[in-house]
Amino acid sequence: MAKLYVKAVPPADLNRNTDWFTYPGVWTSYILILFFSWILVLSVFGCSPGIAWTIVNLAHFAVTYDFFHWKKGTPFAEDQGIYNRLTWWEQVDNGKQLTRNRKFLTVVPLVLYLIASHTTDYQNPMFLFNTVAVIVLVVAKFPHMHKVRIFRINADK
Amino acid sequence: MIAIPYLTALTTYFSYGLLFAFGQFRDFFRKIFDWCSANNLQGYAPICLGLEDFYIRRLYLRIQDCFGRPIASAPDAWFDVVERHSNDNNKTLKRTDKISRCLNLGSYNYLGFAAADEYCTPRVVDTLKKYSPSTCSTRVDGGTTVLHLELEECVANFVGKPAAIVFGMGYVTNSAILPVLMGKGSLIISDSLNHNSIVNGARGSGATIRVFQHNEPSHLEEVLREQIAEGQPRTHRPWKKIMVVVEGIYSMEGELCKLPEVIAVCKKYKAYTYLDEAHSIGAVGKSGRGVCELLGVDTADVDIMMGTFTKSFGSCGGYIAGSKDLIQHLKYACPAHLYATSISPPAAQQIISSIRVILGEDGSNRGAQKLAQIRENSNFFRSELQKMGFEVLGDNDSPVMPIMLYNPAKIPAFSRECLKQNVAVVTVAFPATPLLLARARICISAAHSREDLIKALQVISRVGDLVGIKYFPAEPTKQQQGGKSVKFD
Repeated sequence: MAKLYVKAVPPADLNRNTDWFTYPGVWTSYILILFFSWILVLSVFGCSPGIAWTIVNLAHFAVTYDFFHWKKGTPFAEDQGIYNRLTWWEQVDNGKQLTRNRKFLTVVPLVLYLIASHTTDYQNPMFLFNTVAVIVLVVAKFPHMHKVRIFRINADK
Repeated sequence: MIAIPYLTALTTYFSYGLLFAFGQFRDFFRKIFDWCSANNLQGYAPICLGLEDFYIRRLYLRIQDCFGRPIASAPDAWFDVVERHSNDNNKTLKRTDKISRCLNLGSYNYLGFAAADEYCTPRVVDTLKKYSPSTCSTRVDGGTTVLHLELEECVANFVGKPAAIVFGMGYVTNSAILPVLMGKGSLIISDSLNHNSIVNGARGSGATIRVFQHNEPSHLEEVLREQIAEGQPRTHRPWKKIMVVVEGIYSMEGELCKLPEVIAVCKKYKAYTYLDEAHSIGAVGKSGRGVCELLGVDTADVDIMMGTFTKSFGSCGGYIAGSKDLIQHLKYACPAHLYATSISPPAAQQIISSIRVILGEDGSNRGAQKLAQIRENSNFFRSELQKMGFEVLGDNDSPVMPIMLYNPAKIPAFSRECLKQNVAVVTVAFPATPLLLARARICISAAHSREDLIKALQVISRVGDLVGIKYFPAEPTKQQQGGKSVKFD
């Protein structure tokens, strides 16, 4: 019997931009969105499953890098700009490292990379694209990359 | 602790994700078009970073007809709602001359003082003639009348504290007090669902802020132990002072604070307590003195008691009650006392009169009747909603009862359908609530009659079926009570 109801505890997190990730169902929604994106790419482009997984992986890389590691601040003026120097990844869980959510978000690009590479038989050039994407995403999520701006890329002006 | 159907949680995330994606998509093209057009900032920084008003531009404006509806009468049990129309998809809303006579389930009119009262209103009119609409001065400059002194004494006696200070604005009571009391080297431990005025006051104080899980005294103790052991950041010196901030009734949850447990934890670790009774003062307790009276906590155990007059007393402003030394310090140092206009004399008289009605000093028992009425109304309404299968938050005796909606599409649907049936409700959504937990917040008043509540229950039940927000099975109707029970379905 599937669990019909889940319990939601309000998080001890005042940041409205990141506290939604602590609620039940987010991981499932994340995985379902990736899966349905794959179905959508298969239907629209009519390509092979491997190419579809590569497209999903690269799109996931582009979207999550932009929203998790590039854009800074929150979409709410009530925060009065106190998060304007932090990316979403630096805001999540109040900056605490190695939490469950951070581990989940680190594992997803790795699993996507394995699926995309395996279904394309590790052939170039898809293998190169997938490898570059996963390296950039995983390196950006390292604990010692917290608030680090390499060569002042995306540093505050 | 809220039980959510799992499929509802998934569809809620999908809906918000879709709205967010469409908003970002439009912003992306807006950036392209703006980049092509001329940049005429001439060296000035933009007023607003693009992301800061994203929520307002791309999500809130779509359904802003469900918020901030103007009214055209006093917010009594029934009131007039002004109808508006829009011809550009709610980007701008224009008022019409038409009004709807609606049942008011949205106002904080807990004791029914929002409309004219037989005892309070004549005294307010007399005060208006005798004094003036406003003192146009700060308290220390010429804005103190005998009414202000009488009001402070009346409030201190009512809440059971040696002294009190009164401000003209309820929000400022929190946001201006905390920076005076706490500073660098202090620690504020705040409930995660505290009001925005507390959040902004805590941020403005310069103290370190830590948050404990909502209404979890065990997590509060955990945070206190951890912070006392660690000390101040980097230097690890002891904190100068520690204050725990909680609310009596949480306005978005309708939950009562677990005050006895919180006080026990604070006494154990020698932390100050700050109790915000903005919603609970006047609305709960045998004689309306708030959660201390309701939960059996001695007011001497709470260091600082805050409340507002905007809800149960039908007036404006707020107060801080505490020891004489504390109030004297606030009178010397608080910017809301030194620089802000003092509370209006008629508003002060309204508070004094309503407190007298509550305490029965007006020569009748209308105050006790009002308090009994709001308790009975609240418990009746809450139990009937739960029987029908709605997820209703909050505790018994609380006049605030949120009905969970979850999906963002159901927020405008519920609000608009109820308005069609002449029932005015307030819907609350992210970011005022967590993303997953959008709700409609019902506020019960002592002015509601049983017939009003039954009509409201019928409308909410019908709209609930239409919109699909009865997430739990309805309680089966008892057949032997077929003749007595009121059928809402």
